[in-house]
Amino acid sequence: MTGAFAGTLMNTSADLVTRVCQGDADAFRLIFERYSRPVISFIYDMVNDRGLAEELTQETFVRAFRAIHTMRAETKLSTWLFGIARNVARESLRARARANNHVDLADKSVMDLSDDKPAPVEGLLSKELNDLIRRSLAALDEDKRLVFTLKVLHQCSYEEIAAITGFSLAKLKTDLHRARAEMRKKISPYAGVGYEV
Amino acid sequence: MKCEVCSELLEEYLDGELALHDREQVDAHLLACIECSESFAALTAEQELFTRYDREIEVPPFLWTRIAAHTNTPKRSWFGSLLGKTSLASAIAVLLIALATGVIWFSSHKSPEPKLASTPPTAPSPDPLPKSDESAAPKREVVASHRKPRSRVKPPVVADQSDVLSSELAYLDMDEQDTALHIEQSKILLRSIKNVQISDTDEEIDVTYDKALSRRLLNENVVLRRDAEMKAKFPTKTLLADLEPFLIDIANLPDRARPQDVREIKERVQKTEIVAALLDYQDRGANNR
Repeated sequence: MTGAFAGTLMNTSADLVTRVCQGDADAFRLIFERYSRPVISFIYDMVNDRGLAEELTQETFVRAFRAIHTMRAETKLSTWLFGIARNVARESLRARARANNHVDLADKSVMDLSDDKPAPVEGLLSKELNDLIRRSLAALDEDKRLVFTLKVLHQCSYEEIAAITGFSLAKLKTDLHRARAEMRKKISPYAGVGYEV
Repeated sequence: MKCEVCSELLEEYLDGELALHDREQVDAHLLACIECSESFAALTAEQELFTRYDREIEVPPFLWTRIAAHTNTPKRSWFGSLLGKTSLASAIAVLLIALATGVIWFSSHKSPEPKLASTPPTAPSPDPLPKSDESAAPKREVVASHRKPRSRVKPPVVADQSDVLSSELAYLDMDEQDTALHIEQSKILLRSIKNVQISDTDEEIDVTYDKALSRRLLNENVVLRRDAEMKAKFPTKTLLADLEPFLIDIANLPDRARPQDVREIKERVQKTEIVAALLDYQDRGANNR
């Protein structure tokens, strides 16, 4: 039996793609189950809005389903999905900006995270840390947020990031370096990270 | 290697992106240089800090349902799905029961009229108000006179051609295509309700198909309406908001609805001219929205 119940763990991404192309709807569900969490996390990192991240994740997978038969064999499924997710998130951010109704990604509270605030001795509680990273991430510009998220939070390789974003290697290295520096500036006083570049 | 060079390479070293030669040089330098070694330790600590980042976001259980509503294709039959989930013997048993039911049904329905109820969906008629609906009415009366729940003609379903899209299109805005398909299917559903013939002798009307279709369309409608609002497509958003109450009402009907409930929805469809609004939207085309 080649159905989804034949053994989930034995399904490689390439097998799943082939099966979806052959009309096996269960295979697409397995793809969703495997990649929905990283995709929704990535989109949330980009748009900083939980409800919107859910909607855009849905859009990402609908687009993926409709175009999956055109995916090249040598393309990595995760890279391909992140590429679609990146476009969906970007469209949403731009539409929001055009509608002049954008959520203030650069939350004003981020501005309060200045270097001269006293650093807590024992670092941050995890909830505070999460909130700090989220707001600091939102304060980055879109390109820097994109490469930082993909590299540092999702551990993509430079090659994968270049494939997802279409950026040159030089640009992504520069953006990543600057993003790290900006994040460090926001976070180091609170988290006891003292490395200076 | 000088400290300045090492410092420049540290992030790539941490990312595992350095070529072998450079990596070996950084390795050697870090062993010998306390300052660079401390810098690397701090960079590693920073990386670990970010790996502890918990967005506290989960994939909501309803998300797959919504996606499935958009990606539902008839490529795999219900029987195929059954085969995937149950044993072959169970599936064969179900098939035999279905065949037996079919034989009994055919033997008790030899007159040509009731065939209308089981007519497979056909392509949408180009006529906005197809006369076939009116001509179908007397035939429905035959069924109604038997005091059985009326099985209504299934509205034609627009074929989902989504899988003929190119990969380039996947990167384009798909909303217009989704919305157009949604509007077309909603129009067909509402037209079907609008044209339903209800006689005084009817005790109940079988709306199982319409109800299921309406539920699916309702889910889509909510998503498309929100999306239209988010993208400032206000005419689209308004139309979808106007459509939604009809979809809710049809979706909430029991499978065998009371004639007065169906009549009420029918009259409201006629009164509000929602079908005309849907047609108008289609006529104006996506570019004017």
